[in-house]
Amino acid sequence: MNPYVLSILLMGLGLGTTVTFASSHWLLAWMGLEMNTLAILPLMAQHHHPRAVEAATKYFLIQSAAAATILFASSTNAWLSGQWDIQHITHPLPTVMITIALSLKLGLAPLHAWLPEVVQGLDLTTGLVLSTWQKLAPFALLLQISPEIPLLITSLGLISMLAGGWGGLNHTQLRKVLAYSSVAHLGWMMVVMQFSTSLTALALLMYVIMTTSAFLTFKLLKSTDMNSLAMSWAKTPSVTALAPMMLLSLGGLPPLSGFLPKWLIIQELTKQELGLVATVAALSALLSLFFYLRVCYCLTFTSSPNNLAGVAPWRLESKQISLPLATSTSLSILLLPISPAILSLTLPLF
Amino acid sequence: MSLPKMTRLLSRRPLVSIQQQQLPPSTLVPGRTLIQSEYRRPGKPRDNEPPWQKIKFDLSKGLEGVKKHFTLLKNELTGRWVGPEGKPIIEHMLEQNRVVWEFRGPESLQQWTLSSDREIGGQSEIYMELGRNSTSCLLYGTLCSTPPRDGETRYSGYCTARSKQPLASFDRKKHHDWSSFNCLHLRIRGDGRPWMVNIATETYFSHQKDDIYNYFMYTRGGPYWQDVKASGIIPFSKFFLTHRGRIQDDQHPLWLDKINTIGFTLGDNADGPFQLEIDFIGVCKDYAHTEEFAYEKYKRNPEV
Repeated sequence: MNPYVLSILLMGLGLGTTVTFASSHWLLAWMGLEMNTLAILPLMAQHHHPRAVEAATKYFLIQSAAAATILFASSTNAWLSGQWDIQHITHPLPTVMITIALSLKLGLAPLHAWLPEVVQGLDLTTGLVLSTWQKLAPFALLLQISPEIPLLITSLGLISMLAGGWGGLNHTQLRKVLAYSSVAHLGWMMVVMQFSTSLTALALLMYVIMTTSAFLTFKLLKSTDMNSLAMSWAKTPSVTALAPMMLLSLGGLPPLSGFLPKWLIIQELTKQELGLVATVAALSALLSLFFYLRVCYCLTFTSSPNNLAGVAPWRLESKQISLPLATSTSLSILLLPISPAILSLTLPLF
Repeated sequence: MSLPKMTRLLSRRPLVSIQQQQLPPSTLVPGRTLIQSEYRRPGKPRDNEPPWQKIKFDLSKGLEGVKKHFTLLKNELTGRWVGPEGKPIIEHMLEQNRVVWEFRGPESLQQWTLSSDREIGGQSEIYMELGRNSTSCLLYGTLCSTPPRDGETRYSGYCTARSKQPLASFDRKKHHDWSSFNCLHLRIRGDGRPWMVNIATETYFSHQKDDIYNYFMYTRGGPYWQDVKASGIIPFSKFFLTHRGRIQDDQHPLWLDKINTIGFTLGDNADGPFQLEIDFIGVCKDYAHTEEFAYEKYKRNPEV
């Protein structure tokens, strides 16, 4: 893509999220969300492949429907309560509508059906932007309105965890697996939102780091399905050794970083006397762990002299900048020992 | 079908279509003129019956359908616990060859649809039957490139066989996932004619309905089966995108995760009989084939 066009689109993405973060008026927040949607569409369709155009179209339709619902709900709230302030949305009807619209924007179950198909149609870089950056702005809004409807938020969270776990079970396309992983992680963030917004923010931050590492790893290995992952030992042995750690961190296993948000969320749910919710959440993590383990198996435990699952690649030096991958992989593996420091930094902020 | 006989002259009446004379006036309504309306074969009367009048209730067929669809649903749900596509992951990973269609019984022929230019008024014919000892499928017929005399068709002469869309329970669309493979493996025995292999993938927009990926298949004639590199094994990277038979400028590689149908077309402009025997159609993984897409894309309007 033309570098000027690319920089304008990326700046548009950044501006959209920043506008939503900084807004206290619903219309300004809606404007930021729309800017995000419109800025990412050319990035999605840049390759003009029919599947990429299909993904961009589906994304546009979903996000527009959600944005229209947000506009309608905020107008209804303004009509009923007389003000447009984001934090003072009190009437249950517009609150529920906005929550559902933001769930559609994020891809929370039961409104998640679009996410795997859209991510599958994109290249890995755009998929990364969709799975990480595009979640920030809707979450900023959800964090501000969450105390109003606890039952809905908890239900959405639980359903997302289960749908994300079950849905991702039998896929061999890595992008779809990461899409369902996104749904499951969003469920974890939602379920604790009503009790501790800082834990939600921490979970979101950890999810962004781990997902960035996952997408960059697959991009370096040039793999989009599990069979081509099997040849990664030939491409970069060091990444092949570290990537299972990163995937198990996504699955929430100690002593990796991904355990931190899950542990704190289960602890908080138990303190709030929601033992059943905590149990279901912990069990649903096993479903997600299964498909992460499957990807680990394909990545690491298949090598010659067994039959090769993938086509032998040319062993060319990769031109990809390694710093983001190195940073995100290190953070996604090594952060658990400094949990007290992380908690003291994040808890007062949100 | 033969035209009905005229028993008296129509000298006093202006010439009208024979069908308009015989159909009751209530059916002389303009039909749908939408581009996407269902195709009406020339010569067949327009079907203006509303859908609710076409339903035929049959209890035994209904029960059979219920049993079939619920069995498929049960298999899908139980297969989910085994692995992708109902097979364990290790089998999915180690799979190097897969036979997708093999012709070993009459039920295998039900998965295919035949078509020729007879539908637009031409004279080609195509038939499909099982070969000797039910070990292969024989596509045979006659190609005739005489265009139909309808005043607008200039070229004609094609015959095609296309597989049906795979369906899951309750007639939901299912797709073939060939992403573990990179070549199409055909075992065929032809008569020297050049055929075209057409692969249709799942599309989204209605204007992409006729997007097909094609490549050539040259048969050699002779008593020996063909499945060597020259023409029996076709890499998927060689397939190019066409729309309604026209090669597109904007080419894209074939994505293998959602394949709908495969078809074979003969349209080599050589009138006469043809035969093609197919033993099986499969997909395979050629480790030596590393090409991703065979065609370079040039800028259509380069800056000068």
